[in-house]
Amino acid sequence: MVPISAYLIVAVVLFGIGTMGVLISRNIIVLFMCVELMLNAANLALIAFSRSLNIMDGHAFVFLVLTVAAAEAAVGLAMVITIYNNRESINIDRFNILKW
Amino acid sequence: MDFPFPEYNLQYMLPEIFLFVWALVVISFDLLSKRNNGSTTGYLTLFGIAIAGLLLGLVGNGKGFGKMFINDNVAVFFKVIFLGAAFMAVGSSFGVMQKKIVNHRGEFYALLLMSTTGMMFLSSSQELLSIYLGLELTTIPLFAMAAFYKDDKLSVESGIKYFIIGAFSSALMVYGMSFLYGLTGSTDLAQMKVAFFKTHLQFGDMGIVMILALIMLAAGIGFKLALPPFHQWAPDVYEGAPTPVAAFLSVGSKGAGLIAFAKIFVDGLYAYHSPDMAPNDWGMLIGILAIAAMVLGNVLAIRQTNIKRMLAYSSIAQAGYIMIGMVALSASGIASVGFYLFIYLFANMGAFAAVAVFEDMTGSCQIKSYAGLARTSPFFSAVMAVFLLSLAGIPPLAGFLAKYYVFASVVDVAQRSADSSWMYWMVGIGLLTTVFALFYYANVIKVMFFSPETSPYKVEAPLPAKAVLAIGVIGVLLFGLYPEPILQFATGISSSLHFMP
Amino acid sequence: MTLDMFIFVFSAIVAVFGATMMISQRNPVAAVLYLIVSLVAQAVLYVQLGSVFMGAVLIIVYAGAILVLFVFVIMMLNLRGKEDLGDNSPPISRATKYIISMLMVAEFVFIVHGSVFSGPGGGMLEAETVAGFGSVEGIAKLLFTRYLYPFELTSILLLSAVVGAVVMAKRREIHEQSDSGSVSIDNDSNEGVK
Repeated sequence: MVPISAYLIVAVVLFGIGTMGVLISRNIIVLFMCVELMLNAANLALIAFSRSLNIMDGHAFVFLVLTVAAAEAAVGLAMVITIYNNRESINIDRFNILKW
Repeated sequence: MDFPFPEYNLQYMLPEIFLFVWALVVISFDLLSKRNNGSTTGYLTLFGIAIAGLLLGLVGNGKGFGKMFINDNVAVFFKVIFLGAAFMAVGSSFGVMQKKIVNHRGEFYALLLMSTTGMMFLSSSQELLSIYLGLELTTIPLFAMAAFYKDDKLSVESGIKYFIIGAFSSALMVYGMSFLYGLTGSTDLAQMKVAFFKTHLQFGDMGIVMILALIMLAAGIGFKLALPPFHQWAPDVYEGAPTPVAAFLSVGSKGAGLIAFAKIFVDGLYAYHSPDMAPNDWGMLIGILAIAAMVLGNVLAIRQTNIKRMLAYSSIAQAGYIMIGMVALSASGIASVGFYLFIYLFANMGAFAAVAVFEDMTGSCQIKSYAGLARTSPFFSAVMAVFLLSLAGIPPLAGFLAKYYVFASVVDVAQRSADSSWMYWMVGIGLLTTVFALFYYANVIKVMFFSPETSPYKVEAPLPAKAVLAIGVIGVLLFGLYPEPILQFATGISSSLHFMP
Repeated sequence: MTLDMFIFVFSAIVAVFGATMMISQRNPVAAVLYLIVSLVAQAVLYVQLGSVFMGAVLIIVYAGAILVLFVFVIMMLNLRGKEDLGDNSPPISRATKYIISMLMVAEFVFIVHGSVFSGPGGGMLEAETVAGFGSVEGIAKLLFTRYLYPFELTSILLLSAVVGAVVMAKRREIHEQSDSGSVSIDNDSNEGVK
């Protein structure tokens, strides 16, 4: 059997890559995808914990996190359309009228 | 794998259900009555919030949905604050509705009501999953509301920045929650507390993963509270977003972050704060964040020229003062946090309402355009001055008492516990920063009252905005002189957050 | 190396590879495809952990719905690489970003690896799971009994997200001047759709 910590390490690496992507990505759509990846990493950790504890509560958590991710993506992408109409750019370095 | 079906007890959620249904009513009304100027919709929303407040007073305390939904003192207290913030935000939005938001007025109010519903559900939640969903329900409508002037580059940019930060911080939070779940085997805060004690007795230290989880959670909630180093979004978003939204963000969203923090850290992880687990104490972490917030917020606010940005930095500093009360972690500390938030509601919403009224008149948020306002509209300037002085903490006003109680509760705890010299340092730095705060608040007053030229504007507020300003002034003055009712109300909080001996 | 171990190592590598490629792509469509690759590999890990249903849901909801939405928006904006989306910050700050991010990943791995989960004996999974672990029935029971309250909250959440998304994405609006009553149509130059 594969030890539980192996799954957690995969999850934590994915989470780290997602965080890294949020920090370095200039494309706002890719940036949103990195946030989705972070949520996915949390989901993987939840499933792994759920398995190691042998109780299923983590599954309910994952299910609802997926729903929230979908809702967030819908609003976020709608906002990307708005800002593209507004600025004709999806590069976050251009969103600099307000001092960041 | 059999669970009993929960007892619903829907009557305890009546205010939330009503508010949500009312949001749909507002949308439908706005759709069906095409040619109104927005104020009817606004009055309808105000009416709905008032009814929800009335229902909240009627339902009483109790549990619903198994033990998932709890209406206790702390929940009711925060719900009152959220409803008050929503009421004052809607009241100050009438001018914006006439001038800038031409389409989707119904949706604007509906989103505001849904966000309020989310905050209310959040304050009744008792486990991590509902807390997470409540926070998301609070923030997702706010993303859209911050970007509501779709043709305005500033507003859309602030919306997208808020979205990035909000989504990122909630992802951090979920990750932290997943570790808490893994360490304790439960998402329920009460069971988590038991599990912590058990693990502690068995193994001693919980290990570094626990610290990682705590840091993730603190970062996620710190973003919502705009505590440094997670504060950069706040000035940008407050500047770009419509002013009523910025006002709602500054009180409602902050309150939501605060209640989530209190639920998880004070109620859920209090075991971690007990003396025999002292090496794992997180109080100092929060203390450092609070000091950073007070110093950064107050120092950076001094050089702002835009009043919304200035209020944003001031709200960062105010969050720092609130967190000082959290550090105390005593019954009086929690009560002082509640008191502070209640007074902050009046003062900050009032200040933002005044800014909104002025912005509707002149289209400007620059501090220098307030020059000489006292000559043309002395009453408005006086009201604005009262709010700013209360935020600064000048004695006869309620803001002074709020700061006093917060500092007093920490000093009280510091006297009783050993090894707490850093708490005195924190109080000292806090007192020092209030002096800085006085400087920039007084600057606005100086510009209004003692500027040589006379302002070309004469401020005319619409009726609801006048009402909001009046509520704010009355709250700040009355509770400054007669704080007992709020204090009693706030003391009730600490009985609901279960302090372990 | 057992088959179990082989499947794990393979999918873990694919998941991490897909994620790494995703953040290094300039073309957003390619990034979406790499994210899907990573997600499928993660779904395999879910199945290996005994939650078959959640693995299926992950593929259906993410690859089937959310990422299609991403692709849809990318197509709608019709980006076609006409915009430079590279990181134009000075090399030193770019290097700092990468180094800090790498350090953070390494630190996370170190913390989790050295934690209670990999302690002696505690790290291995129990071979037997409780009856119905990861089944649809088990999840449904949880969602409709103990977690009914958060489940109901998501309904409000989804509705508010729909309202927010419609308000944000709706274009070509009729602006009514409230004072003069004149109606002007806002043609917000959408070269995206042309």
